Amino acid sequence: MNGIIQNIFVFSSLTIAVVFLVRKFVWTPKKKTAKTCDSNDCGCH
Amino acid sequence: MPKQINVALIGNPNTGKTSVFNALTGLNQKVGNYPGITVEKKEGVCKLPRGVKAHIIDLPGTYSLNASSLDESVVIELLLNKNDKDYPDVAVVITDVENLKRNLLIYTQIKDLEIPTILVINMSDRMAYKGISLDIEKLEAHLDTKIALISTRKKQGVDNLKDLISNYQNLSIEPCLSTQDIDIDYFKGLKKAFPNQSLYKLWLVITQDVNFGKISRNTIKDTSSFKTKKDSDLKRLQQKETIKRYQFINNVLKEGQTIDLKTAKDLRIKLDRILTHKVWGYLIFGIILLTIFQAIYDWSSVPMDFIDNAFASLSDWTKNTLPAGAFTNLLAEGIISGLGGIVIFIPQIAFLFLFIAVLEESGYMSRVVFLMDRIMRRFGLSGKSVVPLISGTACAIPAIMATRNIESWKERLITILVTPFTTCSARLPVYLIIISLVIPEGRFFGLSYQALTLMLLYLIGFGAAVGSAWILNKILKIKSRKFFVVEMPNYKLPLFKNVALTVLEKTKSFIFGAGKIILAISIVLWFLASYGPGTEFNNAEEIVTEQYASNNLSQIELEQKIASHKLEHSFIGIAGHAIEPAIRPLGYDWKIGIAIVSSFAAREVFVGTLATIYSVGSDQEATIKNRMAAEVNPILGGPLFNLASGISLLLFYAFAMQCMSTLAIVKRETNSWKWPILQLTIMTAIAYIVAFIAYQFLK
Repeated sequence: MNGIIQNIFVFSSLTIAVVFLVRKFVWTPKKKTAKTCDSNDCGCH
Repeated sequence: MPKQINVALIGNPNTGKTSVFNALTGLNQKVGNYPGITVEKKEGVCKLPRGVKAHIIDLPGTYSLNASSLDESVVIELLLNKNDKDYPDVAVVITDVENLKRNLLIYTQIKDLEIPTILVINMSDRMAYKGISLDIEKLEAHLDTKIALISTRKKQGVDNLKDLISNYQNLSIEPCLSTQDIDIDYFKGLKKAFPNQSLYKLWLVITQDVNFGKISRNTIKDTSSFKTKKDSDLKRLQQKETIKRYQFINNVLKEGQTIDLKTAKDLRIKLDRILTHKVWGYLIFGIILLTIFQAIYDWSSVPMDFIDNAFASLSDWTKNTLPAGAFTNLLAEGIISGLGGIVIFIPQIAFLFLFIAVLEESGYMSRVVFLMDRIMRRFGLSGKSVVPLISGTACAIPAIMATRNIESWKERLITILVTPFTTCSARLPVYLIIISLVIPEGRFFGLSYQALTLMLLYLIGFGAAVGSAWILNKILKIKSRKFFVVEMPNYKLPLFKNVALTVLEKTKSFIFGAGKIILAISIVLWFLASYGPGTEFNNAEEIVTEQYASNNLSQIELEQKIASHKLEHSFIGIAGHAIEPAIRPLGYDWKIGIAIVSSFAAREVFVGTLATIYSVGSDQEATIKNRMAAEVNPILGGPLFNLASGISLLLFYAFAMQCMSTLAIVKRETNSWKWPILQLTIMTAIAYIVAFIAYQFLK
């Protein structure tokens, strides 16, 4: 039982680590840029 | 009054803006980036009287609202966009009491944007020293605002500033300069065409060379009542505007400021004469560098040994206390060892940043920039290239971004391409561990050989940067203008709080920035080193027991042989052996090869990787350094990390690119894959050739 739980923790940690590295170096989801001015005057007054 | 207000700190560089920010926010601050760009954004919270909270943003230093760089455009973009969540309720313009005339230019521009503006006159403790006296009442009346006369050094006036911020609603928003004074007909036409707009905001949008998202000069077009002007005419009007502003400032200062030159004592000129002298200047700089490297070694040895032993004990304790199994091994051999490989360098990195912060705070760094310009020019670099090259000692990424203020594209491109040669803090862990293993501990005229080696590596990095700049200057056929302007701030005693916050923030970002990557890589590496395919790995115990049946090995020796066999046939062992033929001529084994490949994510991962690989299957409580020192060369025998392989490794890391993030930044800054690919290929080739020659010569 202890062995199964430990293996679950190991593979969960591995998955998290791989996902983190892939997102960091290979594929970064595009963030929505906050700096837009949608109103017709672009907030100029 | 709202419970939280936005306050923007704005001002010229070197006016003590960050000191005011630190005085207002203390430790309630964080550093990040502006969305979509990598200009540093510092923000914090300050409690004001009557329970109001101020969200304070320390904007990048700018001389005026006429942006010439990305940093400056951040300021204008915020001030022009009322929809921005950070748009200030009140602007606080920081000025230096000794440079009021120049510093007030941006104050008049911000005031004309009709934003409530407070004027801070900083460094008031230097007034008596410089023979300056101010009539605050007259200045307030002429500038139509409230003034806080403060000294962050003496902790004077900060409470008054907080009071003024909390009463910002009483401030006048009348402009200093009427746009009609610039060109009456042009602005009348503009007013007619855009009756609801602030004229000065429109004028800024029209005259900027940079685009602000959708706020672009293209949005302002010819109409029947308004005719746009040619660029040359706009430039003329901008010059006229600046002259008008300075006339206004001169009149204000004539009334509110007196300078008695007889009482002014100027130590600065005397110091400048020595510190920028063509012989003494370089000599003093050399002595300062030597002292820094010596101190990095001498001061940090005790805390480093403590951390190293603490992690070794923690790893041992984890293994002995938690239930035996794969996850316990991952914690003890992978995560704790990998993190120990980076945490151990906190003392040395903190000391390095401490010295850099002291040199910057004291005003000496600008003298170094001036001093080095004489050398830089000969190599086709700008005087402004010195700033990225010096910043590169911390990290190449902000250093490459700092090239944005170099006007000439050729000089900027050369600086971008050569900056990764300078010794960044990520190389430091690699250098320190290898130096401690292969360079003896003796002293030469009181300076340790190890400190001298470290300094030599810094000089090699700097030499490689200027040498390749010289070659690039000859090869690249790009025409450009060259000029150099640097501001020399006054000398001042560094403020402890500023230095401490800088060291804390830089060390934190180094540890947490690299720490997450190292943690993730340690987990992956541990997995790859602890699992493997085929019978050689899965039946390692039977194979080794059978192989050494006649050797009468003790239980511990047999377990070590099994662990070693498993490691060699693990996933990482197979990959390491595959690349071994390419790295063996440099004196490295497959384990070092894996560390080099994994450190392409970040150089400091090298030490963590070796720590993880050497920990797998090890039952002994040992420090990283001891584990590396105990490694034996599988072919030649003797220590794996000897003088030849150690120097080869040091030189490899001195020249190799080895940083994915830097490549990404170069791609972004040059807007092309051509330059980063060229940079990676050439730097790797140089690193390989130099390491090869060093190993073959020394072995």
